[in-house]
Amino acid sequence: MRNRFMSYALAWTAAFAFVPVARAQADHPDVAKADAKPAAFDPHDFSGIWNPVPNMQPKDEPPITYGRAFAKNDLLPPFTPSGEAKFQANAKFIAAGDVLDCDPYGTARNFFTPRPFEILLTQNRLLQHFEYYDNWREIWTDGRKIPADADPEYMGYSVSRWDGDTFVVDSAAYNGKQFLSWSGLPLSESMHQTERWQRLDQDTLKIAFTFDDPKNYSRPWTITAFWKLKKDWVLDAHPCTLSAIKEYDERVNHADHLPGLDYGKSQKK
Amino acid sequence: MNSKLGKGFGLVVGFLMACVPVLAHHGGSDYDVQHPIAVKGTVTEFFWSNPHCQIFLDAKDDSNKVVNWTIETLAPAVLKRAGWTRETLHPGDQITITIVPSKKGTPVGMLRKVVLPGGAELTGGALGEQPPQQ
Repeated sequence: MRNRFMSYALAWTAAFAFVPVARAQADHPDVAKADAKPAAFDPHDFSGIWNPVPNMQPKDEPPITYGRAFAKNDLLPPFTPSGEAKFQANAKFIAAGDVLDCDPYGTARNFFTPRPFEILLTQNRLLQHFEYYDNWREIWTDGRKIPADADPEYMGYSVSRWDGDTFVVDSAAYNGKQFLSWSGLPLSESMHQTERWQRLDQDTLKIAFTFDDPKNYSRPWTITAFWKLKKDWVLDAHPCTLSAIKEYDERVNHADHLPGLDYGKSQKK
Repeated sequence: MNSKLGKGFGLVVGFLMACVPVLAHHGGSDYDVQHPIAVKGTVTEFFWSNPHCQIFLDAKDDSNKVVNWTIETLAPAVLKRAGWTRETLHPGDQITITIVPSKKGTPVGMLRKVVLPGGAELTGGALGEQPPQQ
């Protein structure tokens, strides 16, 4: 199992070695240059379809890239002893190949899945529709606070406010039944997630995430992620259905002598 | 088994290429991403479905025996953005397809690129904003 995990990590590391990595957003060629005429945009309007740009994450942060196991020299989040043990168990579980189920992915893991999401605005909410597995999130924009008795859910409970042109989202009431990332970073019921959304230009969305989860991490830690606006895209249907997964197992995994995804087995999170 | 199969398909060419991450449910560790191969054959089925589309392809090995390959792709949403539709392939189409093969040596692989009967090429799409798979 360990060898397989290492093979997996090496494969992903090799894959990314071919992709140019930007060290800082200001230097990234995809961000509008200062001498280029910027297209007009409303910094308070995030509506539209946004596609992730995993390689824009700054190098001096724990990598959150989809499908990428932590490499030897990567920065790790500041784990508590129990958080690190949980992460190691999660990583082994993922390395065993059974990383999927149809449970909602929660807010963090959805953000770090390399598929687009759409933002829709209503009078009192910002709705976020993640293409992968058709997950929905609502962020209240009416000034309310997170209710003390909010029921714990996969997607938590999210409220927001404006800090100048920065949209600040606070989320809590997570049920702790999902990973924070595809690499298996743990997430507990104690998680308080803060996001600071900024539209850097018409086409670029930057979100700084701070994860404050004292059960798993000794202090709050932050990562930064980026998305590009896709004006001519529409989201496609990609729900998670057990019948489709079972069919995939029979047609592909079994052809390769793999047991399949075994949805009867619960994830260790 | 792997080398036997690899040698058997006249246009099988191994080459190193820039790899865009591919995490199938199958598991990234199960494909030899460093050694893509090209397989020339006849489409027997094109199955357009989540979580991953599938291409089934008959190709001859070095003993002239026909082997049916199972080739998975990314999700329909990703393929559509790379120019595919559910009508891109049909049974009987003669294609050359570049895949990363299973490490087990089974005739199973993951799509990287296809050359269609008319000569047009399509990649297997990209996850996030990254260079398309070559």
